[in-house]
Amino acid sequence: MTAVMALEGVAFRYPGAAGEALSGVSLGVAAGEIVALAGDAGAGTSTLLLVATGLAPRLVGGTLTGTRRMPGRCGIVFSRPWTQLTGLCSTVGDEVAFGPASLGLAREPVLASAQRAMERLGITHLAMRDPAHLSGGELQRVVVASVLALEPDLLALDDPAAELDPAGADALYGLLPALAAGGTAVLVATPDLERAARVATRVVVLAGGHVVADGPAHLLEGTRVAAIARAAGCPPPYPPDVPSLLRRVGP
Amino acid sequence: MSGGEVRVEDVRYAYGELEALRGVSLSIPAGETVALLGPNGAGKTTLTRLMVALLRPAAGRVTVGDWDVARKRPDEMAQRLGYVFQHADQQLFARSVREDVSFGPRHLSRSEASVAPVLEELGLTPVAEAHPYDVPPPVRKLVALAGVLAMEPRVLVLDEPTAGLDTQQQERVIGALRRRAAAGVTVLVVSHDLGFVAELVERVVVLRDGHLAADRPARELLYDARALAALELQPPATVEIGQALRLPGAPIRAAEVAAALRGTRWKRSE
Repeated sequence: MTAVMALEGVAFRYPGAAGEALSGVSLGVAAGEIVALAGDAGAGTSTLLLVATGLAPRLVGGTLTGTRRMPGRCGIVFSRPWTQLTGLCSTVGDEVAFGPASLGLAREPVLASAQRAMERLGITHLAMRDPAHLSGGELQRVVVASVLALEPDLLALDDPAAELDPAGADALYGLLPALAAGGTAVLVATPDLERAARVATRVVVLAGGHVVADGPAHLLEGTRVAAIARAAGCPPPYPPDVPSLLRRVGP
Repeated sequence: MSGGEVRVEDVRYAYGELEALRGVSLSIPAGETVALLGPNGAGKTTLTRLMVALLRPAAGRVTVGDWDVARKRPDEMAQRLGYVFQHADQQLFARSVREDVSFGPRHLSRSEASVAPVLEELGLTPVAEAHPYDVPPPVRKLVALAGVLAMEPRVLVLDEPTAGLDTQQQERVIGALRRRAAAGVTVLVVSHDLGFVAELVERVVVLRDGHLAADRPARELLYDARALAALELQPPATVEIGQALRLPGAPIRAAEVAAALRGTRWKRSE
């Protein structure tokens, strides 16, 4: 598989920071892959998304060393959706269409991709609402739709369910396999390791700005299910989610 | 602990045309741990804001101990009830983590002796001198919680205290809240995280469309698959495991499930 986005020996330092936020990171993400990025607070998962989508150092400043191959089109969803609104649109429909419209496409394809994105997120009923008057959960869906409307080759998501209730979070994570099947490369940083374990095709674990593990879902040893299995005497690798734990229980 | 009882009597509240609470009644005895659940927009945050006098009910009454909350200002409520916002950035303002956490006890004219132990308890001692905005957002959330714990309130109301926290940080929050509950503090958590809820609370209250849709002991509700489905709630992993393997005693906490699974013959790997 050829990687849509590839990093080779990448280090990144924020402006004015004493140490590196990422160091020696090599990582490729191919079309159709869903890569879950796990790591404790400060591990570098959010920074990695900024680097992978080109926002660092271009917008945030700082210095990047190493080799980076960027995808054709990137989309990033932040965990705080209100930081991501354009502030220029008075309806959700316009907000979602803003991205494709700013790519200079004709009116019909712009409206079509905005409509498709709103349908995917189940927010067509919000199309005429003012984004400023939405709840956190509604806003998060709007922001995800706005990014999907760009039809990115690489979709980067930073804790995208932070504002969603469990049904909304399931719906959002449930969307990822369909996007990946359509050829999108998905990179999702999340503390919600059990949901990530269910959809990820691969897991990358970061600690202190380094990649410390890269492989199958059982690397997500920080889930509550893995902790239960460990405490109950299950030999490693620890099952990260309920279905994989049940498969390990005999006979 | 006196002053720790929370009563909500037929409370209504509307944002303009939108009715957020349509007659909610709830009584929480001092020292109980309760989770407030419900989908986005159910009225959970509105209800908690009424408890701290950030909003006034359009009808009905909220009392904390013998205080009628509608007659109090938010700063007066802080003497009795500690509130942690969902977005911690809304409640941090000092120049260092330690200063921020010390602000409450100082302004309530209480001893600041509580500050250092609370910083230690939440793992904040290493960042005590850092500016609150120089620490990552999940750590800011712990700073906001520390600021409230340092005031030693009789009632704790926490809006999504574990959202965005990693496993180790969640464990610290669970530990800190269990210790407060054991000391008789009333704890009300608003949360979407049923795994966290199962670790902490004795009782679960569910709001939907501004109404009380359920109010039951946590263990009973979490094992009632039909009730959960009707409320559009999914059981936490512990309950899924407990049900699938028919574990005795309806375990809901991770430690209970692990204990029930000890002695299991594990297949080596998949």
